[in-house]
Amino acid sequence: MKMNRNRFSAILLTLTLSIGLTACGSNNSASSGSGNSEGNAGNSTIKLKVYAQHFDEDTSKPFDYAVEQLKKEMPNVQIELDPAVQDGYQKLKTYAATGNMPDIYFTDWPTLQTLSKSKNVELLDDYETTSEFKKSLNPGVDSRLVAPDNHVYAYPDTGIEFQIIYYNKSIFDKVGIQTPIKTFDQMADAAKKLKDDGYVPMSIFAKEKWITTAFYNGLVTREQPEGFGAVDQKGVKELPEAFVTAAQQMKKLQEAGLFDANATNTNYDQASSLFYQGKAGMFVNGQWEIYSSQEKLGDQVDWMYWPAKDEATYEQSKYFINGAGSPAGYAVSPSSKNKETAVKVAAFLASKSAEYRYSQLGSPIVAPKVDKPIPANVPAMMQRIVNELLPNAQKYALLLNNTAIQNAINDNTQNLLVGGFSADDFVKNLNRALDKEN
Amino acid sequence: MNNYLGNKKALAIFLLPALIIYSVVLIYPVLQTVFRSFYDWDGLSTPVFSGLSNYKELFGDPLLGTSLKNGAIFALVLVVFQIGLGTVLALICADPRTRGRKLLKTAYFVPVVLSVTVVCQLWIAMYDPTNGLINRLFSLLHIPYEQNWLNSPTQSIIAIAFVNAWQFMGYQFALLYAGVKAIPEDYFEAATIDGCSKWRAHLHVTLPLMRETFKFCFVIAITSGIGAFVQMLIMTNGGPGTTNYTLTFMIYRYAFMESNYGYACAVSVLLVLISLLATLVINKVFDRGQQA
Repeated sequence: MKMNRNRFSAILLTLTLSIGLTACGSNNSASSGSGNSEGNAGNSTIKLKVYAQHFDEDTSKPFDYAVEQLKKEMPNVQIELDPAVQDGYQKLKTYAATGNMPDIYFTDWPTLQTLSKSKNVELLDDYETTSEFKKSLNPGVDSRLVAPDNHVYAYPDTGIEFQIIYYNKSIFDKVGIQTPIKTFDQMADAAKKLKDDGYVPMSIFAKEKWITTAFYNGLVTREQPEGFGAVDQKGVKELPEAFVTAAQQMKKLQEAGLFDANATNTNYDQASSLFYQGKAGMFVNGQWEIYSSQEKLGDQVDWMYWPAKDEATYEQSKYFINGAGSPAGYAVSPSSKNKETAVKVAAFLASKSAEYRYSQLGSPIVAPKVDKPIPANVPAMMQRIVNELLPNAQKYALLLNNTAIQNAINDNTQNLLVGGFSADDFVKNLNRALDKEN
Repeated sequence: MNNYLGNKKALAIFLLPALIIYSVVLIYPVLQTVFRSFYDWDGLSTPVFSGLSNYKELFGDPLLGTSLKNGAIFALVLVVFQIGLGTVLALICADPRTRGRKLLKTAYFVPVVLSVTVVCQLWIAMYDPTNGLINRLFSLLHIPYEQNWLNSPTQSIIAIAFVNAWQFMGYQFALLYAGVKAIPEDYFEAATIDGCSKWRAHLHVTLPLMRETFKFCFVIAITSGIGAFVQMLIMTNGGPGTTNYTLTFMIYRYAFMESNYGYACAVSVLLVLISLLATLVINKVFDRGQQA
């Protein structure tokens, strides 16, 4: 009897531990999807869970418009929104780890690569919807749809976004700075003039490393249109000359006082308010800032191309765009019970979201073509992009896929904004990363 | 009661739930982390066994040196400020002749209950190189020591550690104060009657008798320093560059920014080993002192 009780206790203990431990495990094969099976769908409602960005007007309005249009086009599809959080797609990865992927999800290229390895993203290459979407793309934006490995993972709504330098025309006039600034020497001179008059020459939210990287890439693209794509190739063990020159230029600009002493601890809100309150002469951000800047500064604000080493180089390279296209957008989970429908819906959401951005917000930076007129009240700065930049764009920068090199560039460009860190330190650190990765 | 303590079955029944919970929430994850550190794993795909390669790579990683150095500086600042100043304040507050003791005790403890984010934002503003209170104070006092506190590659880690030290000094103070109050006053009085000054009596009577409290405080301060993270994340995001990285920041970067979970597990194992080693050394040092 005593023996039996011991056995019973042992079995109970083993069961308890097993249940506890299995609860922590994951099963990627678990299906998601909250709707009916596609085969049985017929005319009944198909429910699709969509993980999408829906946190501000820029993200919620295009999505809501697309969903409204979907109701007309596919009345039997019901969308259940799962709003994305700004967490570097950690929530999405958690869904993948626990086998709870939504039917459709919006994500970026680094996450798509991870999800692809773990078979959490449907390959869209052979779908008819994909060939139709491909045909509808604007020229030059193929890299938003087709990944460097030649696969299609997601349908993009936006086109290739890029960075520009904004400046306050009134402050420039007051201080006596000629525009456009064409060379980095002129930029250094402008920085001194602005600083002497008590302005922050260039407001930059360098607490986020990507913006210092973007600034550096702007200088690189003056002589190397491929941008960071040039260091993402096997055998490139040392930083090419254009990159060394750009590092030296950025350091000289820092020494000339272009950036605020506290730049690496300044966030977007602080940096943008310095510019919008008229305390900073220049501001650097993507072309998406045009709407806010026009709204807050009206005609006082305009944008300029990136400066080069001399005027001839500037004229030759000003249409090299400081922005690289990476695959991103609405992807589909392979475990969706309504995969065929989900693929169609994903492409539809991307197209209609682009349509809203183009025809309602006046943003020409969209992936699929839109056969609707651009509204009349487009900000003048955006109209300049439509008339002057996009038709003349010579080349977009290429994508840097290697995360380790990307991180090394991010870390070291931020360091260039701090005293005590030289361009030589930058080159040495980058060469070490390139030697290891390439 | 004695019947229960002598009954092994009863002990097992009472201990079992706690043991199971402890195993599931602590031992199992630690073992899993050690296990995963031998794999090349992105957190989602099937892990690929890679032996010691993560550890080999780790010991050649330039971030490791920076992180270890920063962890050591952070721990040192916590020890000096929290335990050093905390002890002095505990002794002052334990003295019945000190006026306003209740107010002082509350004041020292208030920062502990504040949100770390709020405290960090407050100090970011105070450290601002152009408009911050600290540089303004130096300027007002005509002391030429204005600094770019959070951007300096050498000073920023000390400035950040100080914020943690300031905020949680009250916690260490509470432990030390309880330690002082646990010592019978007779010992202290006997020493002063024998001619010891107040501070000399504390040095030779109070402090040696607080060995166990100090041991605990040292373990908390040093392991907190080695594993520091939140202040760096909020105040400088680890920058400029990787200047303010610690081992925990490395784990965060490799796991969540680079999806390199196997490597992050290797860093985690190193963090656990260093913390265990620090705890063992502290125990050894204090136990040796006791035997002597």
